[in-house]
Amino acid sequence: MGLPRHTFPYSDLSQRSVLRVWRDPSAAGGLNMAADEALARRSEETNSVLMRLYGWQPHTVSLGCFQKIEDFFSERFLAHWPVVRRPSGGGAIIHGTDVTYGLAVPSSHKWSKRTEDLYSAVHGALVQELNDRDLKAGMVKAARREQEQNFYCFNRRAFGDLVVEHPLASSDCGNCKILGSAQRRLSGVVLQHGTLLLHRNPQMHGEGSHPGLGDLLQSDAGSVSDVIEGWLQRLADQLGSRLIQEPGCSYTKDNEDIMTRMNRYETGAWLNRR
Amino acid sequence: MEKSRRYAKSHEWARLEDDGSVTIGISAYAVEALTDLVFMQLPDVGSTVTAGESFGEIESVKAVSDLYAPISGKVISVNAELPSQLETLNNDPYDSGWIISVQPVAVEQLDALFDQEAYDKLIGG
Repeated sequence: MGLPRHTFPYSDLSQRSVLRVWRDPSAAGGLNMAADEALARRSEETNSVLMRLYGWQPHTVSLGCFQKIEDFFSERFLAHWPVVRRPSGGGAIIHGTDVTYGLAVPSSHKWSKRTEDLYSAVHGALVQELNDRDLKAGMVKAARREQEQNFYCFNRRAFGDLVVEHPLASSDCGNCKILGSAQRRLSGVVLQHGTLLLHRNPQMHGEGSHPGLGDLLQSDAGSVSDVIEGWLQRLADQLGSRLIQEPGCSYTKDNEDIMTRMNRYETGAWLNRR
Repeated sequence: MEKSRRYAKSHEWARLEDDGSVTIGISAYAVEALTDLVFMQLPDVGSTVTAGESFGEIESVKAVSDLYAPISGKVISVNAELPSQLETLNNDPYDSGWIISVQPVAVEQLDALFDQEAYDKLIGG
């Protein structure tokens, strides 16, 4: 199983002291999933913590690894939306007005040891940033099982989810969830996916429609871009690392490895596996 | 070879049975680390598994983990009730919480796995 390897030595401390981040262009679901997977393998090979931020074009629904495809087709607001299945768990996410991250941490790193540690590090950094901008943000400490079962990720409440107390919150939950994450624990590396909602998606209606950070932020509290910059710096600080924002894209689109991985995510066999 | 459990570094265990088959499961340490388990996907009987490669998946509330085969072989039975009774893994991971049984290609592969003492050291016990 993809649990920590306690005896694996820290083989390259110089790599470990850096958090490398790419801002990748928006892409379709299959390519985004393939690029995350490639990032994870690169993290394992180089024994370094790597992160990519990206958007989705066209707007796309991503399903959790174990969600049933029939549940997607039964959602009337989702007819005709492109759909991809993630390698990580959790509920369905409506992408298009969000920023998604893929964070790859090698098994030798302390953050990979417990699922909760990585959530706390990534989500906690954003909580601090939002609190400094006068948003009342926090992380869910415990959730009832029924709150973890809704089709939509942003209707669920599970440990570590980042929520904001705000008048726009639905009466069901009493807060707005704006960041949710899920992990795939592979041999040698942990890949954590997360989605930060930036704005309410105008193409979505019904219970899958949720406000984003930009809808909650006071006008004098800075922009969503400012928040993201602050979040990344705090994350690097928590890691005790130097933040390096890499130019260009984290992957080469026509690379054979990327193409192979992308093809897998675009097949019916993967999408319809449940 | 004595009938005792051997362990992979990825926390699966394997036990050689009297009939030559090998029973495979996951350790109590792994079950505890995964916390709230919600779903498990098992291979089909008759399929083959390869040492070090994924043969199934298990999902907890916030993470999906691959299950890696500690030994190569043909799957001769699966614990079909386990996915609907995941609490069995918490209660009895080494007996009724078994996951699959395989007919090994080369039983010597078990020798490459950790014995109990080495595994206890691995997990810091």
